[in-house]
Amino acid sequence: MVESDANAGPPALVLRDLRKAFAKTAVDGLNLVVRAGELYALLGPNGAGKTTTLRMVAGLLPADSGAIEVFGVDARRRPIEAKRLIAWLPDEPLLYDKLDPLEYLEFVAGLWGAEPRRARELADELLETLGLWEHRRERCEGFSRGMKQKLALAGALVHEPRLLMLDEPLTGLDAAAARQVKDLLVSRVRQGATIILTTHILEVAERLADRIGVIQRGRLIAEGTLGELRGAGSDEAASLEAIFLALIAQGERAA
Amino acid sequence: MKALALIGALVCVHGAFWWALRFGGPDGALSPDAALSRYLGIGALFVLPGIVVQAMNATTRALYARGDLELLFSSPVSARAVLGARALAIAANAIAWFAILLLPLANVNALAGHLHWLAIYPALLACGLFGAAIGVALSLAFFAALGPRRARLVSQIAAAIIGASFMLFVQGYASAPGGARAALMKAMQPEGAAGALDWRLLWSLPVRAAAGDIPALALWMTIALAFFVITPFALGDRFASAAVASAGAPSPSARMRKTRAFSGSLGATMRAKERRLVLRDPWLISQIMLQIVYMLPISFILWRNGGVTGSPGIAFTPLIVVVGAQLAGSLTWLALSGEDAPDLLRAAPIATSRIERYKIQAVLTPIAALLAAPIGVLAFAAPWAALWAALFALGAGVSTALLNLWRQSPSPRGMMLRRHSQSKIVGMLEHLLAIVWAIGAAMAVMGFWSAVVPVLLACLILWLSRSRPRRVSFPASA
Repeated sequence: MVESDANAGPPALVLRDLRKAFAKTAVDGLNLVVRAGELYALLGPNGAGKTTTLRMVAGLLPADSGAIEVFGVDARRRPIEAKRLIAWLPDEPLLYDKLDPLEYLEFVAGLWGAEPRRARELADELLETLGLWEHRRERCEGFSRGMKQKLALAGALVHEPRLLMLDEPLTGLDAAAARQVKDLLVSRVRQGATIILTTHILEVAERLADRIGVIQRGRLIAEGTLGELRGAGSDEAASLEAIFLALIAQGERAA
Repeated sequence: MKALALIGALVCVHGAFWWALRFGGPDGALSPDAALSRYLGIGALFVLPGIVVQAMNATTRALYARGDLELLFSSPVSARAVLGARALAIAANAIAWFAILLLPLANVNALAGHLHWLAIYPALLACGLFGAAIGVALSLAFFAALGPRRARLVSQIAAAIIGASFMLFVQGYASAPGGARAALMKAMQPEGAAGALDWRLLWSLPVRAAAGDIPALALWMTIALAFFVITPFALGDRFASAAVASAGAPSPSARMRKTRAFSGSLGATMRAKERRLVLRDPWLISQIMLQIVYMLPISFILWRNGGVTGSPGIAFTPLIVVVGAQLAGSLTWLALSGEDAPDLLRAAPIATSRIERYKIQAVLTPIAALLAAPIGVLAFAAPWAALWAALFALGAGVSTALLNLWRQSPSPRGMMLRRHSQSKIVGMLEHLLAIVWAIGAAMAVMGFWSAVVPVLLACLILWLSRSRPRRVSFPASA
């Protein structure tokens, strides 16, 4: 049974007994609570159900059963209201090749009904921060993978979502760009946003996440801060990679 | 199921041709005489440019969209073999389009005992090979002459003009003074003692081949095959280097404009996005140009002498309706099915139906503006006809837009343009709706109350085509 944080209002995300099956079960009675204002890393091996879970929260996949609440809003009953609070950034950037960055950000801000003047200021600020200002009037078709990824992130942030969900946000970024993105995410969390990210780069989760959840076969098998996860094992100084591999191996043996 | 539908459609086309020739065909037109040659000449004027256009568009798309070209050119397959295979695919596709119309006509006449009509089969095959070779060569010539940045737009506009050449020729001929027409016909007729290489004989070669003249057919096939074989050998390396050059071509940057505020209206934002995507796509612009090129000579003739029939409304109202239907259909198909970021729209806090409505508005508004000019000109000559043209064009445009709304085939826009992946059935239904609305418009202009029958028929076609696409969203999505 999940509990909400009484001091900070409703949690950013609550999943109760969430289920989704395709040819085989992808999400199998998942229970998860992400507190408002934290950076939560959702880890798991390929096919564990991470992306399926986040796509259900974003309204891109219907759940078979279970409950999804975003800041107390029942996302299955009131999807439009829930979507207003969320931004979704998949690993493949959602862009239009024939638009330039400013036109793209204007379009996304319009979709979410962001206040135009504020959105414009924020768009300029994001383009500056992410090193895209000089390219603001070039069409996206000529952009590198990293530039596209950064612009898609700017699109996810331009309407100031309260819950930002990122699927492998650092894929395809060079070291400098990855650093820019990580700094931006940390600053957003400091400003009060909630971030859930999936990543295979465990060092990112280790350094950035307030809490970490490990998912396997559509179920949450471990959760806590890095210290709590270490404490649950035998080695207090173990790296997240060692903890993660041990948890997955344990899950495989139990299955 | 698809095979049954195809067989059904073929039987219907055969039946329609049989009915038309049995009750409406000119006497003696089935035998190889001057009248037949005239019909076949018009046919060749229509088919050959059509195939050249398809080849130019396909070559340009292959060069810029690239697709599998990088894989092919990184493999040990020669550039000539790649171009040869591409040209063969282009020819096959183009032949298939025209075969749907022409081969049933040949079959019906052959079944009536006029076996020389079967010569259309090899003549069309030769047209496909010849047209594909010319189209590929022209596209590569534009690329060599203008460079990768300009070649795409120029090549596609040239393709649009070549595609309209049939219409331009017919309209130009109709508007020329009688003396000029007679002189042209005289110049085109070979004299009795003309040699085998007389240009007038070569000009009429495809026509004589299709009419069943065996030596002409053999010569036409030899020439077509030679062109088709020589093109990949001569241009294979150029094709490969053009593909490499197009990859390095800088994308056009938008003009630096003054900083302005974001729009606060969702409708305005959606319309601006769709408008930009259409205006920045050279292939799409070439298709719209094609429609405009078709309409320009018509407007000119209408202004000059009131139309070829003496009743401009009857002549031009159906044409305006067809253009409106086709443009609305193809642009709505692109706007609704060709979405590069579908998950972005689905994740946005807006009902899908609202997004679709804005997209349809975004494409229908410029089409209305485009058709306003010919309808305005028509209003001077025939005010009632202009009114009917506006109403029926609106009905036709909305109906083809609805068809594409109900029969979406989602895929990224670049992929759609590369494959031209609109469902063949939807394409055929679009043509059918355009024709039915055009017939209704002509009947309305003539004052027949029975014009309501085609309108009801169009509604019936739409109703039968109604099917909502499966949407991936929350179960309770608005």
